[in-house]
Amino acid sequence: MKERKSAKLISQQQQQLHQNGHLSPSKFAKLFDPEASWDKDQLGDVLHWIRQVVALVCGLLWGAIPLVGGMWLLVFLAISSGIIYGYYAMVLKIDEEEFGGHGALLQEGLFVSIMLFLLAWTLVYSLTHF
Amino acid sequence: MAAAVFPNLKYSDSLTVVGISVCTAVVCEAISWILIYRTTSYKSLKSSIDKASKKLETMKTDSNPSKLSVKKSKTKKIDRVETSLKESSRDLSLFKFKSGAVVALVLFVVFGLLNSLFEGKAVAKLPFVPLRIVQKMSHRGLQGEDPTDCSMAFLYLLCSISIRSNLQKFLGFSPPRGAAGAGLFPMPDPKSN
Repeated sequence: MKERKSAKLISQQQQQLHQNGHLSPSKFAKLFDPEASWDKDQLGDVLHWIRQVVALVCGLLWGAIPLVGGMWLLVFLAISSGIIYGYYAMVLKIDEEEFGGHGALLQEGLFVSIMLFLLAWTLVYSLTHF
Repeated sequence: MAAAVFPNLKYSDSLTVVGISVCTAVVCEAISWILIYRTTSYKSLKSSIDKASKKLETMKTDSNPSKLSVKKSKTKKIDRVETSLKESSRDLSLFKFKSGAVVALVLFVVFGLLNSLFEGKAVAKLPFVPLRIVQKMSHRGLQGEDPTDCSMAFLYLLCSISIRSNLQKFLGFSPPRGAAGAGLFPMPDPKSN
């Protein structure tokens, strides 16, 4: 009896730890689940952060290689928007009309991601090649 | 500062600018939290904007009624909620504006400090040639004609926007999506036509 109670207590504590964690297994699974239901704010936040991560990675990469020229900004925009579109249309399979259309989804975090990309690209380029 | 730590790097001053921008962003958000975000007025305004925008969304996405009288009353309800949302958004902007004066003062002082440290000096090298209109800021105060020389002002602008916006988002201090003017490129709602 005591053993069953302590096992149950441990299981409950583990569940609580997962729920209080920044990215619990259930939240992480939701990011790739086409059956999950999304709130407009939640989806907007996820798309925002995906854009920021892509901007940072591209900026670091473009600056390290280095890739020089304004054309590479357009390449970044195409890649970033392609990833966002692919994510909400093909991974999550959501109906964009419910969230304000393609424009609203594609513009989430766009301007800030461009600034972050330019910052990372400029910094890495300046510090590693001069 | 960074030049002393990294003497081999030609553009090590860029790290100083980034470091100061990060610290400034943290200080500004701390001030904003004290003056704005922890107050009951802000919390209640934000909550009413969130509720109104969600209610508006639900009302707009509900199936269109066939009877004209029902449609008219629904349109009136939508107008009422939209007006309430606009008023709350305006109140929120006004509230943030008054307290934001302190943050603006901090940013002004920091910009002045950075300007005095790096005036006339290229702190970074741009990997692209900016548009003429952007060069007015990116080449501000610099000698020579090389358009890829980056001034402190432009780098500071990039840092401020990217670091501060993401910090606000991370801490949950971003303006609610339903607030008027949210998003740099606001798209018209196709359902309202």
